[in-house]
Amino acid sequence: MQNTDHKNHSFFILILLGIIVIVFFILDLLLGSVTIPFSKIYSALFHPEISDTAATILRDFRLPKALTAIVTGAALSVSGLQMQTVFRNPLAGPYVLGISAGASLGVALFVLGFSSVFISGIFSATGAWSLALIAWLGAFAVMMLVLYVSTKVNDIMTLLILGILFTAATGAIVSILQYFSNESMLKAFIIWTMGSLGSVTKSQLLILLPAVILGIFLAFLKMKALNAFLLGENYARSLGVNIIGSRLIIFLSTSLLAGTITAFCGPIGFIGIAVPHIARVFFRTADHMILLPATILIGSALMLFSDIVSQLPGMQTTLPVNSVTALIGIPVIIWMIVKNKRFQSV
Amino acid sequence: MGQGEFNISIKDLSIGFRQGKSISILRENINYSAIHGEMVALIGSNGVGKSTLLRSLAGFNEYFEGDFFLNGQPFNNYSSQERARLISFVSTEIVKVANLTVYDLVSYGRFPYTNWFGKNTEKDREIILSAIESVGMNGFIQKPINQISDGERQRAMIARALAQDTPIIFLDEPTAFLDVSNKYEIFHLLQVLAKEKNKTIVLSTHDLNIALREVDKFWILLENETFEGSPEDSVLNGNFEKLFSNKHIGFDHYEGEYFFKKDFREKVKIVGEGIPLNWTLRAFNRLGYQIVMETKSDFEVKVIQNEKTTIWELKLHDKTIVFQSIYDMLLFLQHK
Repeated sequence: MQNTDHKNHSFFILILLGIIVIVFFILDLLLGSVTIPFSKIYSALFHPEISDTAATILRDFRLPKALTAIVTGAALSVSGLQMQTVFRNPLAGPYVLGISAGASLGVALFVLGFSSVFISGIFSATGAWSLALIAWLGAFAVMMLVLYVSTKVNDIMTLLILGILFTAATGAIVSILQYFSNESMLKAFIIWTMGSLGSVTKSQLLILLPAVILGIFLAFLKMKALNAFLLGENYARSLGVNIIGSRLIIFLSTSLLAGTITAFCGPIGFIGIAVPHIARVFFRTADHMILLPATILIGSALMLFSDIVSQLPGMQTTLPVNSVTALIGIPVIIWMIVKNKRFQSV
Repeated sequence: MGQGEFNISIKDLSIGFRQGKSISILRENINYSAIHGEMVALIGSNGVGKSTLLRSLAGFNEYFEGDFFLNGQPFNNYSSQERARLISFVSTEIVKVANLTVYDLVSYGRFPYTNWFGKNTEKDREIILSAIESVGMNGFIQKPINQISDGERQRAMIARALAQDTPIIFLDEPTAFLDVSNKYEIFHLLQVLAKEKNKTIVLSTHDLNIALREVDKFWILLENETFEGSPEDSVLNGNFEKLFSNKHIGFDHYEGEYFFKKDFREKVKIVGEGIPLNWTLRAFNRLGYQIVMETKSDFEVKVIQNEKTTIWELKLHDKTIVFQSIYDMLLFLQHK
């Protein structure tokens, strides 16, 4: 029928995107300050007994980083898509509920407040964990607050405004903390806000991965409700969708995805807002059955690409990934607005 | 009262809002009924509570006293899943979603029947296509809904309600944003759907002239009381006129139209025949001239219809002036 053509077409693009993700994944493993030949990848990954320098770099640094890139891209894009749909607002993103604000408040309290008393190294092995933990606690506290308010407030726009106000309030507290902190603490905090994929260790991936998989699973579970939310809450309700319950699960998914990523990688901007729009332009559909896998693949590909660019092949330094995602993504979005004029709605 | 089975029966219903712990009642003692195959217009002035009532009946707002029965069962006995199979709703809000095609929009109507990820069976697809056909949107199946006109989008929203396959459809001012011909078409479409598919269709509207001609029943919502009945009965027993509490608005019982009452100006006698005469009368009516038949008038207008054109002869103080259009004649009279 008339829909089969479109479905086949969408399926084809999804496969293509899947291939692009795999290619970028391999490139991300190969490229970096030390270029590793392709043959080494196979031996490093499938022959654990080999432990030369290349294998160590691959296993301990590049593989966790590339996996983190995929997980980060997918998680932020899916939570951005969910927020744009639920709030019916093209400018909504993973952070509208104040999750990153909560995480940054946690980190700011820890780095700028707590650590200035116990100046002991926050960059130590336990430090990386405690930073992630404290960020996650901050995000989790906000998530609980938002979930609680979402069951009490009927109007979705009220929630959006509350999210913005909460973000502003936390920003103010963070500014005060910054004002009273010393230089090295300030630098540690600023570096956290720039985002980093490389700081995630293998053992941290063991937490990151299941959290993101659970978050994405919850999003797929609420696919039908997400489609119904496109028409607004009244229509969704009249179609038999349980508004409060569905919203709760969607917020839970978003908090899990964005909160966990922010905790481990810092607040990574742009991806969550832009990827759903790129998916809409590629697939010309509003159906979340297609948009969800589409945003996962596009988000992963874009994050891998950003990581490849940020490690500046052949050079010793890496750029902050947050700046790279913005610098790569914003021209893409501007080009799409100008060319397609399809940015106007969700 | 007929013998037909009542689909909807509203008994002493109170509607309003809950703000925190306090309840503010907007209207109370609302009593209405409707049966299958009936198209009902809910009419009343702005702010009287039409939308609130419809939203309460659709389950979006709570109601506070009295009850609302669907086939004899109190509304609150139905689960939200069951309600979704009994009542569909079309709101006044313009839904614009990027890339959402008419087909996809209408397919959302099947949500109460599909599995958790919303897959449509062959039967669902048939129902969707037949709903689209019922509203005459066959040529628009793959069109995105933000690229069609307001009238077409409203039809698509109605098709979505049809695909939901409910015995009752509530529509909140479905014709509010439409031009006149689209208003008529939507009213007519709903009337046909009510009869052909034996549905109960309740819509709120301010398009009284069209409602008078198309609907089976009025639900008249006033500040302190409610009335129901056929449009004709409502006019004859004077309930319809109660809508116009404003002393400047009158209702023409012959024409079945309401009009703005004006202070009479000069007296005019108009002679002529056919459609041109009718519209000439309307023009003078509009400007508040008193039209007289026999008594002495201030001036006289003769409508002369030739084969192709119509001219107007104005006799004023023994002078005769000929005009090519009503506009020119009125302009002359106003500035004489």
